[in-house]
Amino acid sequence: MSRISLKIVGSSGQGIDSIGEIMAKALKRSGYCVFGYREYPSLIKGGHASYQLDTSDEKIGSTEVNVNIVIALNHHGLEHNLTDLKPGGILIHSTPDWKFPKEHQKLIDRLSLQVIELPIETVLRKLGAKPILGNVLLSAFIWSVLGQDIAGLKKMVGEKFAKKKDLLELNMRCIEEGFAMHKENASFTVPMPKPQKKWQKQLLITGSKAMGLGAVHAGMRLFAGYPMTPSSPLLNYVASTQNDTGIVLKQAEDEITAAQLVSGAMFMGTRALTATSGGGFDLMSETLSMNAMIENPTVFVLAQRPGPATGLPTWTAQADLLMAVHTAHGEFARLVLSVSDSNDAFTLMNDAFNVAEEFQISVIVLTDKQIAEALYTQEPYELKKTKIKRGLVTDPEKLKKLRSSDRYAANAKNGISPRWLPGADAATYVAQGDEHSADGSVDETASNAKAQLEKRMKKMETLKAALPEPELYEAVSCEQLAMSNDAVPEIDILLVGWGSTKSVIFDVLRSSKLKAQSSKLAYLHFTHLWPLKTEKFIQLSKKAKKVILIEGNYQGQLGILLKQETGIDIQEKILKYDGRPFFYDELLKAIQEKIEALPTRSGSEDPSGSRTTNH
Amino acid sequence: MKDYHSENRSTWCDGCGDYGIWAAIKQALVELKIPPTQTLLCYDVGCHGNMSDKLLGYRFHGLHGRVLPFAAGAKLANPKLPVIAFGGDGASFSEGIGHLVHAVRSHYPIVFVLHNNGNYGLTTGQASSLTPQNQQMNTAPNGIPEATLNSMDFLFSLEPTFVARGFSGDIKQLKEILKAAISHRGFAFVDVLQACPTYNHFATHTMLMQKCFKVEDENHNASDFAKARKLAVDTSKRIATGILYRNENVPNFIERLVPRQGKTTTPVEEVETFDITKLMEEFV
Repeated sequence: MSRISLKIVGSSGQGIDSIGEIMAKALKRSGYCVFGYREYPSLIKGGHASYQLDTSDEKIGSTEVNVNIVIALNHHGLEHNLTDLKPGGILIHSTPDWKFPKEHQKLIDRLSLQVIELPIETVLRKLGAKPILGNVLLSAFIWSVLGQDIAGLKKMVGEKFAKKKDLLELNMRCIEEGFAMHKENASFTVPMPKPQKKWQKQLLITGSKAMGLGAVHAGMRLFAGYPMTPSSPLLNYVASTQNDTGIVLKQAEDEITAAQLVSGAMFMGTRALTATSGGGFDLMSETLSMNAMIENPTVFVLAQRPGPATGLPTWTAQADLLMAVHTAHGEFARLVLSVSDSNDAFTLMNDAFNVAEEFQISVIVLTDKQIAEALYTQEPYELKKTKIKRGLVTDPEKLKKLRSSDRYAANAKNGISPRWLPGADAATYVAQGDEHSADGSVDETASNAKAQLEKRMKKMETLKAALPEPELYEAVSCEQLAMSNDAVPEIDILLVGWGSTKSVIFDVLRSSKLKAQSSKLAYLHFTHLWPLKTEKFIQLSKKAKKVILIEGNYQGQLGILLKQETGIDIQEKILKYDGRPFFYDELLKAIQEKIEALPTRSGSEDPSGSRTTNH
Repeated sequence: MKDYHSENRSTWCDGCGDYGIWAAIKQALVELKIPPTQTLLCYDVGCHGNMSDKLLGYRFHGLHGRVLPFAAGAKLANPKLPVIAFGGDGASFSEGIGHLVHAVRSHYPIVFVLHNNGNYGLTTGQASSLTPQNQQMNTAPNGIPEATLNSMDFLFSLEPTFVARGFSGDIKQLKEILKAAISHRGFAFVDVLQACPTYNHFATHTMLMQKCFKVEDENHNASDFAKARKLAVDTSKRIATGILYRNENVPNFIERLVPRQGKTTTPVEEVETFDITKLMEEFV
């Protein structure tokens, strides 16, 4: 698989995102798979930020540390990002008379880097264009460097300015000038692989927007939220659709309010959603406990960023898994699951609502800054398969037969008692936050307390039985591997992970650099994280020579849960907790090193599973 | 009345003001011909919350201080059902005060009934924000050092559209107040002064009976905001009860939502797969 990457750097608010978005869409429409990644500080303007696009003719879902092209919109980019280039890479900038320090000059020579200064300001002055149009000029130059057709870019920009005739003309001239500038510097080229038609009609979408679409599609009719990065893009997107979708949007006064608003709305019988990040979720945890007691279905999106405290607001982490599993007082059933990319960010939203309503529990949907803001190339969503399951009694005849004491009947099969909505012509009940008897009346007797707690916990067992095992993916194709207890596939190295690391692990599995190595690799991906299904993991870890845990946190939190549930302690870990996602080249190298340390097939194998691999 | 009758026995102290509020709310609902299946009664945590299983109707008994946003969410989901929230002065003016501010500001079309007994009863007599300064309470043997919050002045500063004050000892008047509150267009605030015979020794039932007077007996004009505020705030000699202020001309939260204009269905009725084909277009 061949990858081409370009990174636009400058201060926040300088137009980095606009160049990134234009280029991303233009490349996708030309027939490339694109993956976009933003880094920025927690500021509105200023500070050093970047927008990186990694592209390929094949599926791509990650960012690499070293890139083919750096576009520096200011001199900070020259200072900081020269070292990001691959050998033979190109640095494009518009800082007049820049003198590189000695060590940079040496690097330029050693890696045969090419540096080009563009007279952006001069050209803009000539055209009588505002500085912001420098972005179009640069985009056009890069477009030409990549050997792409001018018509494609013109069409894209044309669509954007279709209603602003005067601006349109100036934009077109900037594109032509950008191409002309490249003609004068024709030696700077980065040849792209042959485009593939299949990418052209795909969507270019962030995980947040995918999630918003998924929730809207799943029948969500109310969204309440309080702004907090990286959950705000979901709030913003859902809000932006309100005139098309007719949903109720409420920006709440705090996270407790948001959680209570959606709890009230779900209790009344609509589908409602809230989203927050770790600190906000801390505030929601009492509400989580309340919903457990009144058996009220709710869905919470928890978008992770590094903590503790304010931490790194605009960076990523997978460090709130244990919090999602354990937070809130009392013992109760819940589902914790994690999206991993733009595909399941969409599909899992309806699943989350279905489980919440059918089991009358809270579902916590984990995402992170990486998924929330990364730009994925995504197959248009299949809409026909969506089935809404609500587990409600709605039939008038059945409603009439209900008694108040059916609502929380302790002897309900599987712990799931009938649920019917306020307003229904049926016996009424109280959703009681105190321990209660079957109709919701306060009941503090020992026998009732035991029976009700067991009823509610029984839902956990029922849920666990109903959940799918984690998905096993083979190397190269990244197709799912079927397996049963009788047919456990031969695997040398088993990678174990969850959440946003999936797409970068996929890119590593597809890598031709790994193909050359003979070991058989597979990846076990956990979508459902609590309750935890462990059968597949136990079987595979017995068979694999090496199990490697890959997580974006310090402790190896999924590893902790797996050990707790199975006794198997994964010794080999690749962990990252610096706010950055796993990068492709970095993870590839880390896994390659693990493979090289692998004993030969004839070497001693410990079948017990609960073993440490050799160092 | 029997439709709302629960067989569960009351657990309040003898002489508790909650009995009067309990009777008044049932009477108000019956007189408005709202059957128990067509309302949602939401209770905060405190002595008043023990009403939640002492009557019928769809009911909710949640967290301390958080009843307003739950009730608001329920109302937004199904505006066809009257939603009434109950809370005490302890929760509503401490943990829940932010919710009160924003509920008034948001102008949700719900009723809030404040069970105002001037202290935390259920947790055995600690001071609330409305307990008089220097009053000895269970956490303050030397008298509470904090200043007393003037709840009515505070509330009027939020520009409410419905403010009433009732007295748990006058069930008939309270019933009429509650009927008007349930029929109000937006957020209705009903302050109900009530005795706490066990812990409140500073504003007893007898004292309240002596001080309260009905504004309807004195030709009060409930559309005069400034007068209403003055009447509500000054309780030094006499305490005004009745509908103090009422304005039916301010659109409520739901009426102000542009995407909900002209909708005849409720969000509860609208739960089905939504076709996002058009929304996907911008991403191609």
